[in-house]
Amino acid sequence: MTRATFPGGVHPPETKWTAETDIRPLPLPPRLVVPMAQNLGAPAVPTVERGQAVARGEPIGKPDGFISAAVHAPSSGTVTGIERVIDAATGRTTAAVVIETDGKDRPHASLPQEPRPWQSLDGDAIRQAVADAGVVGMGGATFPTHVKLTPPKGKAIDTVLANGAECEPYLTCDYRVMLAEADKIVTGLRLCMRATGAARGIVGIEDNKPRAVEAMRRAVAGADDLDVRVFPTKYPQGAEKQLILACLGREVPTGGLPADAGVVVQNVQTACAIAEACVRGQPLIERVLTVSGDAARAPGNFRVRIGTPLAALLAEAQVQEGYEALILGGPMMGKAQFTADLAVTKGTSGLLVFRRAAVYEGGPCIRCGACVRHCPSWLNPSRLSILGESFLAGNLDAVDTAMEFGLMDCILCGACAYVCPSRRRMVHLIEMLRGERRKALERRRERERAQAAGIQREVEKVAD
Amino acid sequence: MVGHWPHLRGRDTTARIMWSVAAALAPAAVFAGYVFGCRAYLHIGLAVATAVGAEAVITYLRFHRRSRDGVKATWWRRSGMTIGDGSAVVTGLLVAFCLPAQARWFVPVVAAGVAIAIAKQAFGGLGCNIWNPALVGRAFVHVSFPTDMNPAAYPVLTGHHFLGNVGTAVGGMAGGADAVTGASPMAMAKSIATQGYADVDVLKVLTEGHGRGLWDMFVGTVGGDLGETSALLLLVGAAYLIYKGWIRWQVPLAYLGTVAAGALLLPLYLAGGEGGAESAAWQPILLAMPDAALRFVLWHLLGGGLMLGALYMATDMVTSPLTNKGLWIFGAGCGVLTILFRLYSHAYPEGVCYSILLMNTAVPLIDRWTRPRIFGHKR
Ligand code: SF4
Ligand code: SF4
Repeated sequence: MTRATFPGGVHPPETKWTAETDIRPLPLPPRLVVPMAQNLGAPAVPTVERGQAVARGEPIGKPDGFISAAVHAPSSGTVTGIERVIDAATGRTTAAVVIETDGKDRPHASLPQEPRPWQSLDGDAIRQAVADAGVVGMGGATFPTHVKLTPPKGKAIDTVLANGAECEPYLTCDYRVMLAEADKIVTGLRLCMRATGAARGIVGIEDNKPRAVEAMRRAVAGADDLDVRVFPTKYPQGAEKQLILACLGREVPTGGLPADAGVVVQNVQTACAIAEACVRGQPLIERVLTVSGDAARAPGNFRVRIGTPLAALLAEAQVQEGYEALILGGPMMGKAQFTADLAVTKGTSGLLVFRRAAVYEGGPCIRCGACVRHCPSWLNPSRLSILGESFLAGNLDAVDTAMEFGLMDCILCGACAYVCPSRRRMVHLIEMLRGERRKALERRRERERAQAAGIQREVEKVAD
Repeated sequence: MVGHWPHLRGRDTTARIMWSVAAALAPAAVFAGYVFGCRAYLHIGLAVATAVGAEAVITYLRFHRRSRDGVKATWWRRSGMTIGDGSAVVTGLLVAFCLPAQARWFVPVVAAGVAIAIAKQAFGGLGCNIWNPALVGRAFVHVSFPTDMNPAAYPVLTGHHFLGNVGTAVGGMAGGADAVTGASPMAMAKSIATQGYADVDVLKVLTEGHGRGLWDMFVGTVGGDLGETSALLLLVGAAYLIYKGWIRWQVPLAYLGTVAAGALLLPLYLAGGEGGAESAAWQPILLAMPDAALRFVLWHLLGGGLMLGALYMATDMVTSPLTNKGLWIFGAGCGVLTILFRLYSHAYPEGVCYSILLMNTAVPLIDRWTRPRIFGHKR
């Protein structure tokens, strides 16, 4: 049993109140709002029209390019329109297909498929099935899974990690899925290994979930190439790079992907979705998420259709009115929302409602060094945040200095801000600097393009 | 209103840390009255009041607003005063702790005023100062009022002289009825180091102790500055802070360790002192009388402001390095400078204050040298 971990990290209270509540299916809501932007990369393009009848699992959005994911109707009904809605992850607006459900949950003609043995599939078939099913990373990053399963040229993948760390406080959905569907996770893991040519599969779990460890151990029993590893409970143990370091002692090089360390990491729910897609041709139309927080009187783990309005979840969890904070995701990296008028997407791992909003007014850095000691990327968050303030005060060079201090190596985990006694808004400042960096790069590219065009004109003039 | 992630924060806050440091210093402050009479409280009160007052006035002038973030706020919040975070109280206490009881009443006022107004706020306030404010204040009065700061004339009280001392507490301390004027242990240790170890009297001192024995130095019933005498009480407070992680143990360990090593070994290699003390004389002592050598080392550890400096001044977060490696270097640097000052400076028997101030200056450099390797980067 490996008990390795990564240097750094913090120990927030676990508050996993819902750990022992079974997954409950949420009744089909009368209305589903299915955003087209549910993945990192290009949003899908809607392929249905207003008034059209759709069946469960019918494609309603087609991927726009390689780094994009298909979207399917989560249930049967009628398309009542294509609206602009707010994308909870980015705050921008995106198109969403609104479906009025008919309650029949009629499956699409292509469903259900005869289960096919996963052993019969080769890499391309797996990737195709995964792409057709619109699977994306369900831990929150929502990176299209078929892309992840396509190893970049010249990079050999030797290990696939199923990420069951679930290091965010409050969240317990992955835990419940590991208890309920261990075999499916293992099938998904095997499919990933097949698709990437990896010889080894590892399930990584934090040691605060002994029952999940047991369940997964049972599921992998007898397989030499599969293993379950237990890590000390520490945030952010579930962050990709930190998990790889803890598991294999490998560091993903700066600016690189896990593939550069020979690894592919998949969340356990994603592994389930991969298994569903490949074995039964089932598209990704539902997920398990946790509803919790001190404003929820009946917190729990729910299996919900994608596109379910948050209001339905809030009602099911008996959330009292008058809550102040609504967070999609976990309390460490989840995004606070200004409205509950949003829908569940493929990346929604949790919905937290708190009676009191935690607003922190950052003070000056007292150089206590806590952030430096706890940063899992071994950065100097104090320095980065001071550079952020310096930028806001008009020092435009601060962005370049921050680059020297590893601005791009920050994983925005918030461990630094968690420990900061001065309550500094570290992540906010670091994100702001990153945005400025991106803008600066764009400006430079623009300038170079203009310059190139100018030179072209000069050349043409001379030629004339 | 909802903030940026993370939506959870740890329990530690700046105010919590600072008030805890103040609480850790409190026993030593109370004890100062027992040793030096209630004039000690006068000094502590004046220093703390001046520090807090200066902080309040300056931060009010710097930060007060009509409103905060466009919302109505209490007068307290609008005033922008930062005295609630406790850092001014800590500075005031530390300033008083490194002044002698016989100093005139305005000395603590000047020291605390300089500490807050110049050493802290003029540099930008909490977190922005380069030098430890309390030590800057002390250094300032040390040069300005040398007679008030003469450690050779530190009064030592024995037993229960607190009440008997009330009269002198108001009038001025020098020559108070029950005060025994004696050299502070530090001055003694220095004279041992500089005036020849072969001296028979010195050997007697080393083997039998002088006036105040090591036990007195440990408990704190010796002469010295107000808060520095009781190693015991300072250690108790520091142990709590170390347990909480609010002072980093690396600094005192490195600091005290290098001082001990220096006190033990330096006299072997460096000739010191006016009379051309023979370094060779130390070797026989070291070999033949290890307990005398140990006593000498303990004198250095317990004497003067070393405990106060190593536990509370050098560990000041703002003016020490960020990384653990940096803290080791910083502590060791303080120790080396302190023992060099103590053994080889002629004018100044105590080196803690200036050693720490010098190392404070080096902190940006240390931070730069000890920058950790970033995840995924080669060295
Ligand atoms: S948010 Fe960035 S800087 Fe802060 S602890 Fe996480 S990785 Fe380090
Ligand atoms: S944790 Fe906060 S106060 Fe401490 S060094 Fe980091 S930024 Fe400064």
